[in-house]
Amino acid sequence: MKQEEYFTQLVREHKSTIYTVCYMFSQDEDEVNDLFQETLINMWKGIDSFREESKISTWIYRVALNTCLLQERKKKKEVKKVPLTMDVNFFQDDDANAAQVRMLHQRIGKLGLVDRALVMMWLEGMSYDEIGAVMGISSQNVGVKLFRIKEQMKKM
Amino acid sequence: MHFEELRNQFAILKDQLKKQEIVSDHLLRETMKAKKRNINSTKRMCYACVVIALGLTPLNYHLQTWSLPFSIVTCLMMLFCAVATYYIHKPVDDLNFLTDDFATVARVMAKFKKQYDQWLYYVTPVICIPWISWAFYEYAWKRAPEGVSPWFMCIPLVFGLIIGLIIGLYFHFKAVNAAQDIIDQIDEQ
Repeated sequence: MKQEEYFTQLVREHKSTIYTVCYMFSQDEDEVNDLFQETLINMWKGIDSFREESKISTWIYRVALNTCLLQERKKKKEVKKVPLTMDVNFFQDDDANAAQVRMLHQRIGKLGLVDRALVMMWLEGMSYDEIGAVMGISSQNVGVKLFRIKEQMKKM
Repeated sequence: MHFEELRNQFAILKDQLKKQEIVSDHLLRETMKAKKRNINSTKRMCYACVVIALGLTPLNYHLQTWSLPFSIVTCLMMLFCAVATYYIHKPVDDLNFLTDDFATVARVMAKFKKQYDQWLYYVTPVICIPWISWAFYEYAWKRAPEGVSPWFMCIPLVFGLIIGLIIGLYFHFKAVNAAQDIIDQIDEQ
């Protein structure tokens, strides 16, 4: 399979994971759009460095999180912006589902960036080993951190 | 806060996203046009200075501005700076900011910042103070024409020194601050 085809398939399969990460690290629709596109660019640039020993979903999570955490907000964008193809706007829509999603966004948004990433992966149902592989920490450390975050969230 | 509620809200989000197309062919095509960026301007600046200095030093010797020992020492010093720059930057060059884990990125950036600071506070004075003193002696005291004070001859060197200091500090802090920003992002807690 050609690399372009493989990349396209990969993005289509994992689009909702990428969107979720970008959404949780953004304040508005434009920012989600920017982060989403930036993540795709970084995935495309880094696709050669993907090593088969880790799961592709772990790699995608890592690229998406690193893009959101490490991106230099002021740097020039080198590509033309293309809007995402979506019928819903979680920042503006009034229906019950969008309201629930906004509530989730607000709750997770109160956490620090790294804690936010940990909680997202936990909600995604990833194992402690997988979360540890993304963050570069041991699974025990993931457990300790998540326990601390949950305690912190209970007080919110 | 009820975590079950949080999980439900997350499930709603995933369910809503599943129904969305999100990615268009146009977006994918634009993405694949992107080229790799090189962010390492400080390193490039350092290498450019070394190349210029290595070119100009023999010329200055030929024009009898500097003595042969001073020219040789200057060239050696420049080569040492180039090697040190390569050594300090190599772990950062090897790092893949997008696919390496946070702990690795933070560790490499912390080491990079520490080495840059050590270079500024310890190595630079040890190398630069004797070299600059020697340059002043070579240029002002050895070459001052009769009737011209060596102190007057120092003026262009002082200007050069100030400009060099400003440029050097600008690039130093640019690199160090960039590293610190990344460390802060990761260690935000």
